Amino acid sequence: MAFDVDTSTVKLPEKPVLTRRDYINTTLRSYYLQNAGNVSNLQGTGMLYSIWPAIRKIFKNDDDFKKVAVTNLEFFNTNPQPYPFVSSIVLAMYDNGASIEDTRAVKLALMGPLAGIGDSLSQFGLAPVFSSIFASLALQGMVAAPIFFFLCLFGITFGVRCLMGYLGFKVGTSMIDTLSDRMSAITEVASTVGLTVIAGLAVSFVKVNLAWQYSQVIKGKTQLVTVQSILDKIMPFMLPVLLVYFVYWLITKKHWTMYRIVILLFVAGILLSVLGVLKP
Amino acid sequence: MHFTIMQAILVGLWAAFCYSGQLWGIYTNRALFISFGIGLILGDLKTAVIFGATAELAFMGFGVGPGGSTPPNPLGPGVVGTILAISVAKLSPAAALALSYPFAIIVPVFMNIVSTLNASNMGWAKTAIEGGHYQRFKFIANIQLYCYAIFAFVLAFTATVSTNALRDFVNAIPQWLIQGFSVAGELLPAVGFALIMSTMLKKEYIPAIVLGYIGVAYLKMPVIGLTFLGIALALNNYYQKQKHAKNNDDASEQDGGAEDGI
Repeated sequence: MAFDVDTSTVKLPEKPVLTRRDYINTTLRSYYLQNAGNVSNLQGTGMLYSIWPAIRKIFKNDDDFKKVAVTNLEFFNTNPQPYPFVSSIVLAMYDNGASIEDTRAVKLALMGPLAGIGDSLSQFGLAPVFSSIFASLALQGMVAAPIFFFLCLFGITFGVRCLMGYLGFKVGTSMIDTLSDRMSAITEVASTVGLTVIAGLAVSFVKVNLAWQYSQVIKGKTQLVTVQSILDKIMPFMLPVLLVYFVYWLITKKHWTMYRIVILLFVAGILLSVLGVLKP
Repeated sequence: MHFTIMQAILVGLWAAFCYSGQLWGIYTNRALFISFGIGLILGDLKTAVIFGATAELAFMGFGVGPGGSTPPNPLGPGVVGTILAISVAKLSPAAALALSYPFAIIVPVFMNIVSTLNASNMGWAKTAIEGGHYQRFKFIANIQLYCYAIFAFVLAFTATVSTNALRDFVNAIPQWLIQGFSVAGELLPAVGFALIMSTMLKKEYIPAIVLGYIGVAYLKMPVIGLTFLGIALALNNYYQKQKHAKNNDDASEQDGGAEDGI
């Protein structure tokens, strides 16, 4: 236990007091999860804040309420999108008379798997796909693209939160396994689509233009030939591909931090431009 | 171009809202979205959105840093870069991105300071609850949010009111160096793309990478077309896998039968 709080004397409710409204309210309050983020209990304070009105309703006795509240302050860290699954289960367990200790065990057990599911869905699945699609639409002159970008991501993740809040209320912890299986299929589909788009955009968006050129005499006429045009004939976007691969290699094999890589590219870009190797 | 105090306040409020979205998990803290609002307020939506898209792609993989480090944050370029792109004539989006990059590095420094100062949050919350000061608990439970909002407001407000100084500063940079920044700004997106690949890429996704490359480099496909191409590949993989799993089941049943026979 985070603090030595004796919860064995807490009076558990005899029959459920929460209504559907309380679960919906708590699911909406999931947006508060990270409002008190800090290095010691991460989302702990926010976790308590999200379930605050509901547990006040369950634990009528003020001393009991304080004890339950304080036990929920302990370290908590998961992905905020599927988090309502946890809050709903915690509330359902309290409300149906499960002990404070049992509920805590379930809550802590869910933290890891949900973080994995949520991260793979939102950070590696949804965000890159939508940001590459709408950023490239914006570059083509569609000024409303940012709004659609926001509506898509917010809409989908809001749907995920509602669904998770409902599932947490409806079913027990066994659900998390089947959810994991189903999610891995969805993640694979999302990753494949995402990487196809990202690979395409990476080569066209990263620009490495050689400034070198030489003159050539063809049939008595002098022509300027750029080295870049020759490279493009061999393999279009050859240098951007190599650059992305080089940075990928620095990250995965050399374990460079992003700051080092950014500084390297900055210095390289300016130097190569000054030396007349690259042009914008 | 001169911006009014009213515009500076609006830009500050917009930045505060967008940056708070990082805590709420609603994706408003992305460069594309931040730039949109700033463009609307400062009256040059087109330039703002094009810059925002440039920065968005450069920061695509920056949700998480390798090994849990705090990566550079798109708030800085989203605010300062957009203001530069709008106010400095003939500044390319890539150059604006490179020039505003230092602000992407200031933001995580601030974030680390706040979450460290907030380290006793759990203790404060406990004291407040046990003393029955529930209103004070509410404040404590939102303390990081308030800090984020105030920081973003101050950053964006200051940047907008000092537009002239920013512009003079940029104009004082010699042309060869600006060109160098442009080149660097065009190289920088490689970090975002490589980063997202380093978190997503497994061997079985190599066909997706090659397909995406062919689609753009040889077929010159627009991005929506690429998406359909990706969906086709993903569904094909999915059904092949199902078929494979089914065949395996059949095969193992037969194995079982043979064993029973022996």
